[in-house]
Amino acid sequence: MIANILLVAKREFRQVTATKSFWLTLLLVPIALAIGPLVGDKLKDDTATKVMIIDQTGGAVARTIEDSFTVNEDRALLVSLSRYVERHDFDKADPRAVWAQHDRWYTNADVASFRATGGLKAALAKIDTVRPEGVPAFDAPTPDYSFLPPPAELAAASTDTIGAQAKQLTQAKGGDDKKAAADIVLLIGKGFPQDPTVSLWSNDQPRSSFVTQLQQVLTQAMRGSLLQQQGVSPQAAVAIETAAPAIAVSTPPPGGGAREAMLVRSIVPLALAYILMMSLMLSGSWMLQGSVEERSNKLLESVLACISPEELMYGKLLGALTIGLSMVAVWLGCAAFAAFATHGAIADMIRPALAPLTSPGAIVALIYFFAMGYLAISIIFVAIGAMSDSMREAQGYLMPVMLAVLLPITMLIQAVLAGNNGIMVQVLTWVPLWTPFAVLARLGIGIETWELIGSGVALAIFVFLEVVFLGRLFRASLLAQGQKLGLKQIVGRLKAAPR
Amino acid sequence: MEVLEVDALTKRFDDVVAVDNLSFAVKPGEIFGFLGGNGAGKTTTLRMVLDIIRPTSGRISVLGAAPDRRQAAAIGFLPEERGLYDNMTAIDTIVYFARLKQMDGGEARKHGMELLERFDLASRAKSKIGEMSKGMAQKVQLATALVNHPQLLMLDEPFSGLDPVNQGLLEEEILRASKRGAAVIFSTHVMQHAERLCDRLLLLRKGAKRFEGTLDEARAELPAAIDAIAKDDIARVAGIASAEPKEQFDGEWRHWSVRLNPGVSAGEVLERCTTGGVALRRFEEQRANLHDVFVQLVGGEESR
Repeated sequence: MIANILLVAKREFRQVTATKSFWLTLLLVPIALAIGPLVGDKLKDDTATKVMIIDQTGGAVARTIEDSFTVNEDRALLVSLSRYVERHDFDKADPRAVWAQHDRWYTNADVASFRATGGLKAALAKIDTVRPEGVPAFDAPTPDYSFLPPPAELAAASTDTIGAQAKQLTQAKGGDDKKAAADIVLLIGKGFPQDPTVSLWSNDQPRSSFVTQLQQVLTQAMRGSLLQQQGVSPQAAVAIETAAPAIAVSTPPPGGGAREAMLVRSIVPLALAYILMMSLMLSGSWMLQGSVEERSNKLLESVLACISPEELMYGKLLGALTIGLSMVAVWLGCAAFAAFATHGAIADMIRPALAPLTSPGAIVALIYFFAMGYLAISIIFVAIGAMSDSMREAQGYLMPVMLAVLLPITMLIQAVLAGNNGIMVQVLTWVPLWTPFAVLARLGIGIETWELIGSGVALAIFVFLEVVFLGRLFRASLLAQGQKLGLKQIVGRLKAAPR
Repeated sequence: MEVLEVDALTKRFDDVVAVDNLSFAVKPGEIFGFLGGNGAGKTTTLRMVLDIIRPTSGRISVLGAAPDRRQAAAIGFLPEERGLYDNMTAIDTIVYFARLKQMDGGEARKHGMELLERFDLASRAKSKIGEMSKGMAQKVQLATALVNHPQLLMLDEPFSGLDPVNQGLLEEEILRASKRGAAVIFSTHVMQHAERLCDRLLLLRKGAKRFEGTLDEARAELPAAIDAIAKDDIARVAGIASAEPKEQFDGEWRHWSVRLNPGVSAGEVLERCTTGGVALRRFEEQRANLHDVFVQLVGGEESR
C-alpha cells in the first residue's frame, strides 16, 4: 500500500513540477519579496523639504528658526545613532560619548555636545574601530528640512511682490527639472514681533510638526521681546524661554518594546500562516487540475484496476503536501540566503523573530499545524476534483470553499498584527478549518498550552473525519461520470460507501 | 485450476439489476468472449472481477482467491473508455502502470520497450501521450495492460476505435497471450472478432446469461437451414419445419429454403430424402453464424 501511495505521490509531484506555472510561482514569490522593499524605497519621498525664510527684521529671527530646526534634526540623528549603538553594543567605542548614553531624552545641550565632539563623522570614526565585519554601517536618517537663502531682491520687496514671487518659487517648473525652487516660503515682516503676522506660502499642506515648531520658535521670540519690554534682561529672558525639564527615558533595547517585540515575534508565525495559505491555494489548484484531468481523460478505471481509491487519494494528498512543503522550503531557503547575503542586517532582525522557535515544542507545534492544515484543506480539493468532470464545474464548488477558508484568515492576520487576541481570534482557533492558521498566527503573541493541545486534538479529529467522509465521497464519485450532482447526491455519497 | 471463476454473481444498483445470477469460469490459455449489447452487464462484471465495485451477492475467485488489488500483478486490464496522462511519455506511462502492478522498474522499462517495438512505436517511446494520435495512445494503453505478463488478461471492447491494421495487431496479441497460458476475456459486440478468436463464448442479456459454450454449440442453438433444389415432395420429409420455394426452375424443380426442426441435423434429413426417394439436384447446409445466434438470443437491436 505504501509503495502505491508513494508512486501516486511521485507522479503527482512530477506532473505539477513539470508545469511552467509551478516554476513561475516558485520564483515569483521571492523575486516579489526582494523587489518589494526596493520599490518601496523608490516610492518613499526621502528628499528634504526646502524652506526659504525672508526675514525683514534683519535675519536674527530666520537664524533662530533655522537653528531650532537643525537642533531637532541633530537630535533625531542622535537618537537614531544611539539606538544603533545600543542594538550592536558599541558603547565600548566611547562609553562617555553622548550617543552612548541611552537613558535620557537628548536636550539641546546634549546636541551641542554631540556637535562639539565632531558630530556624526567623529562618532562613526570611533564606532568603526569596534564594528565587526558584517555588521551594517549606520544609515543616517535624511533630514526633513533644508534651508535656502532668499534671493537678495526679495529681502526688501513689498509683501505683495514677495507673495507673487513666493507663489512662483513654490510652483513646480516645466521641462526636465520639474521640482520647485522652494517648497515653503516664509515671510517675517519688518514689524515682528510687535506685528505678529507671519506669512507662509507652500506648494502643499505644510506638516503640522513644521508649523508647531515654527510657532514655538516665533512664540519664544515674541515672549522674549515682551519680557524685555517689561524690564527683564535679555539673558534672563532667554533663560526663561529656554528653561526645560531633563527627562530621563527608560526604553527597552531595540526590538524589545512590548508592541514592537510582539510584532517581531509574530513575523515567523504570521509568515508561516500566510505561506500556508498561499501554497495551499496554489498547490490545491494544481491538484484539482490533475484530478479533473484524470476524470476527463477517462483513465481512472485503468488506475483503479491496479490500486484502491484510498491509495489514490492518499497518494494525491501526499503529492500535494510534498509540493507545498517544497515550495515553502525553497522560499525559506531564499530567505536564509538573503539573510546570509546581507550579513547582519536581516539576521539581526530575524534573531528576535525566531524567538518563538527556540523550544523544540514550538517547532513541533509549527510543523504539526502546518502539515495538518495542509491535509485538512487539500482533502477538500481532492474531493472537489473527484466530483468534477471539468475545471469549469470544479470552479463552481471551489469558489465558496475558497471564500469560506480565506476571508476569516485575512481578518485573523489583521487582528494578530494589531495585537488583538480577542473573541474572533479565539473562535477561529477552535474551528478546525481555520485552526492551523489561527494557531500559527498566535504562536508569536502567545497561546496557552491547553489551547494548543486542545485545538491540535480537535484538528486531528477533524482531519480523521474528513478522511472518512470525503474519502467516501471521493470513492463514490470516481467512476460516476456525467451525473448532475445535487446536495442530496453529495450527502448520499458522504453517508455510505456502496461499491 | 481455473484462472477465473464466477459463481451466482449479482449486482444491483438501487432498483436496477445490472448482473443477474451470473456464473462462468475461464481456464488458462483460453480465450473467452464476453458478448452482449450495450448495458448487458459486461463492464460491471469486469469491474467486480477487478474489485473496483463489489457484488451484491455471489462469489468471484481470481487465481483461487477473492478479488483484491494484491492480484493486480497477475492481471492486465484494458478499459472500454481509454485515456492516459497527457503529459507523460509513452514509456514512463507503461512503467508507471507496471510499477503500480508491483513490477520492478527496470524490468518494466525493458518489457515496455519490447512492446513498443512490437507495436511499431519504439521511436515514440519518449513522446508525450498528448502529442500522439489516438491510435498510438490506444496501443500504449494496450502495452500498459500487457507489460506485466498477466495470467488473466481482460479487455473491455478492445477493438473499438482501432483501424483494421491495429485490430489485426490486437488479435495477434490476444493469441500470443493465450499461447503463453494466459486466460483472456474480452467483451465485444462485434461478432466477427469473437468468431475468429474465442474458444468459448458467453452471451449476456440484461445482466443474465443466455448462452455459454463453444462457437459450434452456439451455432447449434439455432435451427439449421438447407438450401435445396428439389421437387414439391421435399416439404413432406420428416424433420423439416418449413420449406419455402424461392424460384421456379424448369418443370417441377424449384429452389427451396428449408428450415429444420430444433435438434434435427441436415444429415438426418438427407438420409430421409434418400430413403424416401425424394429427388435432389442441390442439398447445401446453411450453418447459422454468431451474428444470427446473437440476434436470436440477445436481440437484433443490440448487435452490429
